[in-house]
Amino acid sequence: MFGFHFCKVTGISMSPRIPEDSYIFIVPWLKILPLKEGSLLKVFHPKYGAIVKSLAKIDRNGLFWLKGFHKSSLPIERLGPVGKGQIQGKVLWVFPPK
Amino acid sequence: MLYNIISKLDEKLHFSTVSAHCDIPCKIYDPIVAQLAVLTIIRLVDLLDDLKEKPSLTLDDQAQFLRLVTQKEEHGLKVKTEINVIWGDYIKTAQLTQFPELHELTHNIMLAASKTKQHINKEASLALLVLVNRFAEIFWATKQVTTFTATCPYPPAQTLVYPKLSV
Repeated sequence: MFGFHFCKVTGISMSPRIPEDSYIFIVPWLKILPLKEGSLLKVFHPKYGAIVKSLAKIDRNGLFWLKGFHKSSLPIERLGPVGKGQIQGKVLWVFPPK
Repeated sequence: MLYNIISKLDEKLHFSTVSAHCDIPCKIYDPIVAQLAVLTIIRLVDLLDDLKEKPSLTLDDQAQFLRLVTQKEEHGLKVKTEINVIWGDYIKTAQLTQFPELHELTHNIMLAASKTKQHINKEASLALLVLVNRFAEIFWATKQVTTFTATCPYPPAQTLVYPKLSV
């Protein structure tokens, strides 16, 4: 509605960059701009639902491969690639809990 | 301060959540599930052998036959899954160095479990038990837990490797 929204993060796979219970500020339309590796993205994953991950790589087919930061994060190959249509926005700011 | 403001907004507006999904190793491993599955297979084979003795099968017997074979299939798969998880998730270089036979043993369990699925064969299921018991023995040894063998106090009354856990 406003061109942005907040989400609360559950899980630790993005810590320490995004600790659990952080709030993230997401701008959906920023996904139309070229995304760089390392960008934090909100993605609708067919198996895991709405997730936040870091962009690991864009392959030659234009598919987006995602990864977490924590050692317990699902490995990149288990997450699998997603299309641009599944990206719901780019994380602009992270507000970690105290 | 910003976090507190957003948190207050969250209380009013109920922001959606996004998952930073994990695959946290739970570290809960125990070969007893595989061992019990093998015992079940042996018991099922015994019951199937009882059916073999009958000159002809009634409708009830046929239903029983199907049920026993289905369960044997499921428990064969359970053995494979349980051993695979311990082998794939728990066994690391340290355990492999200590017990170099682990890869071959695991592979042999897979083959033996397949054999018990393919046939109604008591010897094959007993051979699987020997392998899974050895796997259990190694598993507990890697945890510095001594083991003992005892006959399970229920059918099929076979020898099982148990951990000697102190209170």
